[in-house]
Amino acid sequence: MKTIISKIELEGTDNLKYTDVGYTTEVSLINQINEAYDISLGVFLGENRTKLEIGEVSISTFFSGVSYVNEARTEVESVEGLSLIEITNINQL
Amino acid sequence: MAVPTKGNTTSANQTPAANFKTQNHTQDTGDNGLIVAQFTMSNSTSYTSATYGGVTMTRLYTINRSGLGQRMAFYYLENPPTGSNTLRVNFSGPQWNPLSTHIRSFTNSGGIGNSLRSGGSATPYNASLTVSDDSLIMMTSCSINAITSQQIPTGTNQSYSQHNTNRQVATGAISSNAGHSAGSIALRATSTFGNVSLDRTEILGIGTPVPSRRRIIMC
Repeated sequence: MKTIISKIELEGTDNLKYTDVGYTTEVSLINQINEAYDISLGVFLGENRTKLEIGEVSISTFFSGVSYVNEARTEVESVEGLSLIEITNINQL
Repeated sequence: MAVPTKGNTTSANQTPAANFKTQNHTQDTGDNGLIVAQFTMSNSTSYTSATYGGVTMTRLYTINRSGLGQRMAFYYLENPPTGSNTLRVNFSGPQWNPLSTHIRSFTNSGGIGNSLRSGGSATPYNASLTVSDDSLIMMTSCSINAITSQQIPTGTNQSYSQHNTNRQVATGAISSNAGHSAGSIALRATSTFGNVSLDRTEILGIGTPVPSRRRIIMC
């Protein structure tokens, strides 16, 4: 099983854009990426979910100080045809 | 008669933060192709449609699990475009909770057969599905607590993805490659404690007779 690494950035003012940037099989790298997500965008979404739903808070608030975050929560059996490179080090992102 | 051939899978657990979510998936090349997609998310919004490679998928079901605050859905498309394409699912409004997505491809499939859904009941939850010869069964469950097994048939644990949608979701469990003999197949879902739901859908093999509920009788 391979895990796809997504780049998440702001699209427009209120939407997130996901772009697949590579894949990895290294559990430590997957954990490193997802822990960074969980303490940044994950916390923002968790704390503001209701306000985001009613339009009281905009997702653009989070991205005012951050250009993008990565997440590794998509698993595939094969990356054939997806034109993705293998990522082995977080510095490649 | 022949068992459907399992193809590529894609499982994702991300927050859409929009009124749609896209996911790339590669459909295998071969005759009698089938692609299926299982979704679970907060019931704050609804599923409105899904496409694969721009082709509209058929919705088998969508169900509001109000006790769990979740909405689950199953879409499929027979003879989908092959290769890498985008699967897009649309919602009635922006979804700010994580979405559980499981996509699976088949070839040599006769399409979708019987499907039943059962809401949360105390673990272990026992259910069944009547299938035709050489069919496979796909299963998915939701619970407040961690899901500990998906058994197809009962006693045989199948692998699955454990997702967090602010509830616990098991998705992607499927029968072993050999398929089933025709008849009622016992199924079981378990969680650490409390209630767990159990939805199951038959993937028909080639040459499998169409279930009677789908026959067209000409008079």
